[in-house]
Amino acid sequence: MATVIDKAKREGLEARDAQRARSSRRYLGLLTGAAVVTFLLIVGIIGTILIKGLPSINWAFLSDLPREGMTAGGIWPMIRGSLLLMFGTMLVVLPVGVLGGIYMAEYAGESRFVGLIRSSLVSLAATPSIVYGLFGLAVFVLAWKLGTSLMAGWLTLALFSLPVVIITTESAIRAVPESLVEGGLALGLSKGQTIRKIVLPNAASGIATGIVLSTGRAAGEAPPILLTAGIYYSTGQLEMNLETLRKPVANLPYHLAEGYRQGGVIPESIIWGTCVVLMGLVLLINLGAILVRARSRARSLQS
Amino acid sequence: MNNGTPLEDYVISARNLRAFYGNQEALKGVGCQVAGRRVTSLIGPSGCGKSTFLRCLNRMNDRIPGFRIDGDLRIMGADPYAKGADLMKLRRQVGMVFQKPNPFPMTIFENVAIGPKLHYGLKGSELEGVVEEALKEAALWGEVRDVLTKSGLSLSGGQQQRLCIARMLAVRPEVLLMDEPCSALDPISTAKIEELIVALKERHTLLVVTHNLQQAERISDYTAFFMFGELVEYGQSTQLFGSPVKSETQDYVSGRFG
Ligand SMILES: Nc1ncnc2c1ncn2[C@@H]1O[C@H](COP(=O)(O)OP(=O)(O)OP(=O)(O)O)[C@@H](O)[C@H]1O
Ligand SMILES: [Mg+2]
Repeated sequence: MATVIDKAKREGLEARDAQRARSSRRYLGLLTGAAVVTFLLIVGIIGTILIKGLPSINWAFLSDLPREGMTAGGIWPMIRGSLLLMFGTMLVVLPVGVLGGIYMAEYAGESRFVGLIRSSLVSLAATPSIVYGLFGLAVFVLAWKLGTSLMAGWLTLALFSLPVVIITTESAIRAVPESLVEGGLALGLSKGQTIRKIVLPNAASGIATGIVLSTGRAAGEAPPILLTAGIYYSTGQLEMNLETLRKPVANLPYHLAEGYRQGGVIPESIIWGTCVVLMGLVLLINLGAILVRARSRARSLQS
Repeated sequence: MNNGTPLEDYVISARNLRAFYGNQEALKGVGCQVAGRRVTSLIGPSGCGKSTFLRCLNRMNDRIPGFRIDGDLRIMGADPYAKGADLMKLRRQVGMVFQKPNPFPMTIFENVAIGPKLHYGLKGSELEGVVEEALKEAALWGEVRDVLTKSGLSLSGGQQQRLCIARMLAVRPEVLLMDEPCSALDPISTAKIEELIVALKERHTLLVVTHNLQQAERISDYTAFFMFGELVEYGQSTQLFGSPVKSETQDYVSGRFG
């Protein structure tokens, strides 16, 4: 009797196992397909840019000024402008974003209102950059009378990066082990001392990664700059002084957008070359962020 | 016991101490007086409130939302929960070591120096002196004197725990709270910490939570047996382990449950 039941049971189980194996094969197939499509897309995009753009890359292209109404020469002013935009944005974002993240993680608590702020941050992080561009245009350029300028660009790009920086700072702080926080408090350190001496050093690499990645991304965005800081061609703008802050600045995304719009006038080689440079810049920034993270991880595990 | 003695004569006195996590009552009216410069063990089955009691003493549970206490508690004569009580001062007087060693990810020297530096503004050779003294007191100096600039995380588990003890001692606390300080350690490291605990009572009042009954018997002058949030029996360790008064204690120390 028992063996009969066992047999029936076993057959049932085998059927079920076979069913499960079939469905996991199906899913595996789907996942592999999705991965292959993604991979091909990325390779396709990067490959196209590299094939078309790499031939124009040489030292002169990177370090020269544009010549003959932008139809020849290099793109140094645009590279410099993008770097200027990025570092300035970082300067603005660093204090505001980090303090905001500390506040959200350690002081805000869990009220309804804080929940609302938190979901607003998430929505803002997903808001298209053109919206920030329009906001920057209305507030910084017009209302604050900064004009189309480097400074307006910094503020706009800073706003654009801020939600991500606050969110990543908050999560880096929350990721610091509770046992370390308790260790600090048990020594009689105040909350502020514990945050400064124990929490922040442990969250630093996560915070830095968030800042670098988000400002790096901001530096590649055309729409906010288009409306607040961009200028297509700038001769004699290479000297740096306080006036630079009030003047518009040439930069890579803008150059691309304009260059493409004026289709035909600008040689394609320059546009593709600019593309490669912009991509390379963003890649370098991300690589930097990865290195920062890896190094501090190695340090915290060091012997 | 000792009902006629005023609370202030003991380093720690609790009367009808109750603690709640939200609606759950974790301590149901605990009363005891802890003698100074002695080792007191806290034993009892898991979840009986040993850690809760310990963490009331340095207000570590303040951070837990919904936690509150009720009753009377005195530490060196003062009510740590009184309005306006100085929380940082309390924690300087009442140090704590945790179950899992938690050295800060900084150098060995910095781990020990952080307390005296921030609290007393010590620098230079004065600070170095305090660090050395604390490391000696924690029986770690000989092992780390040449590697003070290495990360605290590079030490073995037992060394890390002694580093945490040194870090606590450098702040010059009177009371030392240890919540299962050996349960993450190997037997040799455990023996070292036990030796250290006994040596430390010369200048400190120690409360040690442990699940190891032999350990409690070896190291402590007094033992408190907790069960279901109540202090079932409290007295000299020889008495409590040798001839317990309550049948629950008898059952627990003879290993019949727990
Ligand atoms: N953070 C918390 N939130 C809610 N309840 C808690 C919390 N910490 C402890 N408790 C509860 O309080 C009671 C006492 O817990 P406590 O940690 O003091 O026990 P313990 O004697 O230290 O146990 P163990 O030997 O397992 O460490 C338990 O019922 C536990 O579930
Ligand atoms: Mg416990």
